[in-house]
Amino acid sequence: MPSYGYYVAIILVYASVDAMACLGLNLEFGVAGISNFGYIIFQSAGAYAAAVLSMPSAASSNGGFQKYVLGWHLPWPFPWIGAAIAGGLLAVPFVFIVGKRLRGDFAAVGLLVSAVLLNVLVKNYVPFLNGDAGISLVPAPFQSHFNPQNLSYQFAYGAVAIILTVGVYFVVKLVTESPYGRSLRAMRDNDIVADSLGKDLRKQRTSILILGGMIAGLSGAILVQFITLWAPGAWGYAETIVLFAAIIIGGAGNHKGAVLGAILVPVGFEEITRYLPPLGNPELVPALEWVSIGLLIVLFLWFRPDGILPERRRILSGDKNAPAPAPTVADDESDALIKIGDLQKLNFRELLRLGEPVNDHRVILSTNALTKTFNTVTVVSDVTIAIHQGRLTGMIGPNGAGKSTTLAMLAGTLASSSGQIFYEGKDITSMPSDKRALAGIVRTFQLASEFKKLTVLENLVCAIPNQSGDTFFGSLRGKRYWGTEDRDNIERAKEVLEGFGLTQYADAYAGGLSGGQRRLVEIMRALLAEPKVLLLDEPMAGVHPNLAHKIGDQLTKLCEGGMTIVMVEHELSIMDAFCDPVIVLAEGQVLAQGTMSELRQREEVVEAYLVG
Amino acid sequence: MSSLGFGLISAAVLAIATVGFTMQFAVTNVLNLAYGSIMINSAFVSYYVNQHGVTAWVALVGGVLTGAIASWLLNRFIYTPFQKRNLAPITVVIVSLGVDLMGTFGLQAIVGGGYVSFTQNQGSEYHFAGLLLSSLQLIIIGLCAAVLVGVHGLLKYTRLGKAMRATSANRNLARNSGIKTNYIISTTWLISGALCGLAGTVFAMNAGVFEATSAQLYIVLLLAAMFLGGPGEPYGAMFGAITIGVATEVSAAYINPDYKDVIAFVVLIAMLMFRPFGIFGSEKTN
Repeated sequence: MPSYGYYVAIILVYASVDAMACLGLNLEFGVAGISNFGYIIFQSAGAYAAAVLSMPSAASSNGGFQKYVLGWHLPWPFPWIGAAIAGGLLAVPFVFIVGKRLRGDFAAVGLLVSAVLLNVLVKNYVPFLNGDAGISLVPAPFQSHFNPQNLSYQFAYGAVAIILTVGVYFVVKLVTESPYGRSLRAMRDNDIVADSLGKDLRKQRTSILILGGMIAGLSGAILVQFITLWAPGAWGYAETIVLFAAIIIGGAGNHKGAVLGAILVPVGFEEITRYLPPLGNPELVPALEWVSIGLLIVLFLWFRPDGILPERRRILSGDKNAPAPAPTVADDESDALIKIGDLQKLNFRELLRLGEPVNDHRVILSTNALTKTFNTVTVVSDVTIAIHQGRLTGMIGPNGAGKSTTLAMLAGTLASSSGQIFYEGKDITSMPSDKRALAGIVRTFQLASEFKKLTVLENLVCAIPNQSGDTFFGSLRGKRYWGTEDRDNIERAKEVLEGFGLTQYADAYAGGLSGGQRRLVEIMRALLAEPKVLLLDEPMAGVHPNLAHKIGDQLTKLCEGGMTIVMVEHELSIMDAFCDPVIVLAEGQVLAQGTMSELRQREEVVEAYLVG
Repeated sequence: MSSLGFGLISAAVLAIATVGFTMQFAVTNVLNLAYGSIMINSAFVSYYVNQHGVTAWVALVGGVLTGAIASWLLNRFIYTPFQKRNLAPITVVIVSLGVDLMGTFGLQAIVGGGYVSFTQNQGSEYHFAGLLLSSLQLIIIGLCAAVLVGVHGLLKYTRLGKAMRATSANRNLARNSGIKTNYIISTTWLISGALCGLAGTVFAMNAGVFEATSAQLYIVLLLAAMFLGGPGEPYGAMFGAITIGVATEVSAAYINPDYKDVIAFVVLIAMLMFRPFGIFGSEKTN
């Protein structure tokens, strides 16, 4: 049965192409959290590149009945290499859309629209790629030596496609399972927080868009030299939704899931409909196919949002057999029971790389007339403060006084409208927040900001700066390059975890912890970012008072060890017990500063805030 | 000059659609990418009513009701439950893409792939300041003006409108101030859905012939108009829609008409890159 053999060979090629495309998209969407709604154009760009690189010049081929650029007539594998390069290059302009500060859904819409735009342009501009008709007679590799219609040729083609797909699988796996992959997943879970810990979002997104684009481009090349024609109609934006459906169904973030999804959705749908008898009007079957894909997306996101093969929980503690700790329900009472271990035993100076304590109480961080205006409302106005090294400075004020906004400007999360910020004598007003974090200014957030789908230990380890495996090329060099260092980092994080009494949750997803536990994770994570100046935004909010005081004791010790801490807090008892000096903000301005006992003497402060 | 006339009609249709779309975004923070599919479904309901001997302008009520009910159901049974799960905003956007596929191709499965058109005459032609407009086109412009004035009155002078603006500015604060935000959100989906249905029907009437997938890429124009004026800003939407509508048609007179929508794409991408909060919008606090 020769036809059966051809059928299998064709399926192998199609499955490889779809699986490879899904692996690239899964790296972007499932791992790095980039919703690339324009993904399909990367595949088509690769396909076109492969087509025009492998075809003879437009004028010489068949009397020039179709128009296209290049026509270099390159032998295999150069068209495929060119296709990967084209896919990667196409990613470069997109970086401006997925730039640092754009909300994820806005960026997704931008990518969607760009894809539609490019499709419209290519369809209507004939000289570039023959317009709406597309290109036919794309040569198959080595077609002058072998007959592409031969069954063994087709199987060989399928085998090469599979080998390349397996190769791509290992590359995306290499990136995903590295410290860099951890940073990508942190960015996916909460990009603003990842940024505040020193992750360069633009760089991370650029690298992944380029790699994903190269993978998509290669998959397009494999397809186009097999079917030998390619038309713009085949890459409408809806095709991207099919790939998204595949990943959501297979399991976003899990590369095996992406392959499974590719087999179930694009391949499965295509093949099943071959066996359906013609029904009703000619549009009925394709229309119902689209309806099913839409329905599957909605149903899966509702009933099984993690897909058939959910993302694997990474066990870093080394205890592979440890049962998954039951997720704790948020319960303030349980927080009271958290026993902070004996932190004195911890060698903070070494664990947190604090260096020798200097404690000269010099001005380490200061502002000059710092102002923030939203639209027409001035939230922070002319704030000039000086933070002294080795002190635990408190910041209080009524709601809306501008405390959190000031903190956010110090950390760079918000840009100031005017005024300057100085750190160690240098003007850092225009320094982006990730660079400030690397320079030693690390903040925490008022709202829960754990990376939900990272384990507690991963949350901590990913904050450690300057990891050699935490760069794109570092990750590609594999575990042999970064493995030892990563093990050391994990040990460091485990010791800190033990000090805070949360060892039993090391391998639990941070999203499942109670409110107080998440606060602790956030503080530990900030500490592991090796801050010189730690900015805490209401670290005790929602934390049981007993625990709050234990945390306060530890913060005091950190300051004695040479760290500088600024803490926004509502709870006056915390201020009384730990903070000196305290800055009082009211209506966006500095009302007073001094020790708590001094402040209590001052009438305007008492009136503005301390009453009640 | 005739392109300016076409531009005015496109702008009128787009303005009705964009105001509804941006109201949904304002109160629920959802980019409802299924909007185009509800538009075309509403148009087909109007069309079938029209086929039963009812004049197109009365049949239009059927489209308005379809849009209102379908949007309300969509929010009540799909978007709200998903939002309650506190997922990433992108999840709801992906859901809306899924719904869009179901809406568009579900319709195609029922009505088939052929083009249809309303039974109506274009009416007599009128000259206005050098523009030649049919009575159909004049009615569309009149409807648009009525919608814009109506939405302005709603937002500015009614308790409901004030509550909608408050919900849009800060939902929690609005709820804590005693506004029944769930009721406000449902009502917004009814009103904006009615606008969606109206827009769909006049879009189809203006197009002359249409089929199930005719509005599939209309979402791009909607997004461009919304982002130009500022997402969630009804007045910005009016400005954005008129600018985009006129600009695309006028540019069609000077460049290849196949590229006329390109200007909308370029505007949208430029806005996203440089001013994602719109020309008139402002950076929001968290």
